[in-house]
Amino acid sequence: MEQVRADGFDEFAAARWSALLHVARLLTGGDRQRAEDLVQEALVKLWFAWPKVAEQAPEAYVRTVLVRLAARSARRRWWGERPVDQLPDRADPGDMSSAVAERSRLEAALALLSPKQRAAVVLRYYEDLPESQVAQALGCPVGTARSHASRGVARLRQILSDAVRPVG
Amino acid sequence: MDDFERDLSRLMRDTRQHIPYEPEHRQRLHAGIRARRRSRLLWKAGGSAVAVAGLSVGLALLPSMLTRAQPADHRPQPTTSPTTSPDSTPTTAPPAPSTTPTQQPETTLPATMTGSSTPSGPTSEPAGDPRPTATASESRTTSAPSAPPPSPTPTTAPPSALDSEEPSASVYPE
Repeated sequence: MEQVRADGFDEFAAARWSALLHVARLLTGGDRQRAEDLVQEALVKLWFAWPKVAEQAPEAYVRTVLVRLAARSARRRWWGERPVDQLPDRADPGDMSSAVAERSRLEAALALLSPKQRAAVVLRYYEDLPESQVAQALGCPVGTARSHASRGVARLRQILSDAVRPVG
Repeated sequence: MDDFERDLSRLMRDTRQHIPYEPEHRQRLHAGIRARRRSRLLWKAGGSAVAVAGLSVGLALLPSMLTRAQPADHRPQPTTSPTTSPDSTPTTAPPAPSTTPTQQPETTLPATMTGSSTPSGPTSEPAGDPRPTATASESRTTSAPSAPPPSPTPTTAPPSALDSEEPSASVYPE
């Protein structure tokens, strides 16, 4: 029984590891180490809930756990995450490929959002979830989730346009 | 969804890079699961130990609390008993009035028993058992026939000595 559980869990973790890590990286604003920690913690929580959620929706469960862990970890003081007016680092196209530069620019812009706005934007535009599921993952009403997403997009629009201007 | 939102969605998906699930990730994950399981067991053990300690303390204190509560429960009873005593005095009172008449039955009982033909019964019964004297003294005033039955039983029913232990019960219905 335990072996069956471990096999199914390992299969799920191996299949979804990369996608979960990317979501976690977007949720943490590009912090890869923190993203790995979040994915591991979410998968550990999933292990204990695996008998209940394995046949239903383990993906949704681990996504919700991931979003809440990301929001909680962002509130911790020692992460030192604070919104700032200027981007902390900019992609330098000279020594990086364009894909890496784009990713860095996006992650740096996401890092400037509040944790709720960031999670709403990632779930809405990367995971392509409907607003109801975004609200469920955030643990807030649909209107609040919609507000987080629209404000986050507006902020990203401003940040990315400001970031592109000097480069261009 | 406007152009910016579409570009944002594309940018998020295009920047995704494949990161394989390597054995070290698996080992780290299972180490985390073991650590969490250990901490859960510790929490459960600690919780049950606290529960057992609380129960034992409660059970240890319960008897002392009960014994402390008992005198308080019994104290009101004596205050209420005098109110119920008038009901019980008729039951306990008869011995007291019986003392005054018992001095007279020496003369009265022979007077009632002289009606019977046997003189030996009345002389032994009043001295041995105080109850017949009390009943005799009371029945003397209320009903005379209740006193004579003890005397006829030894005379009229001699066949069984065992029946003489409860003679009044067998004789009174008759």
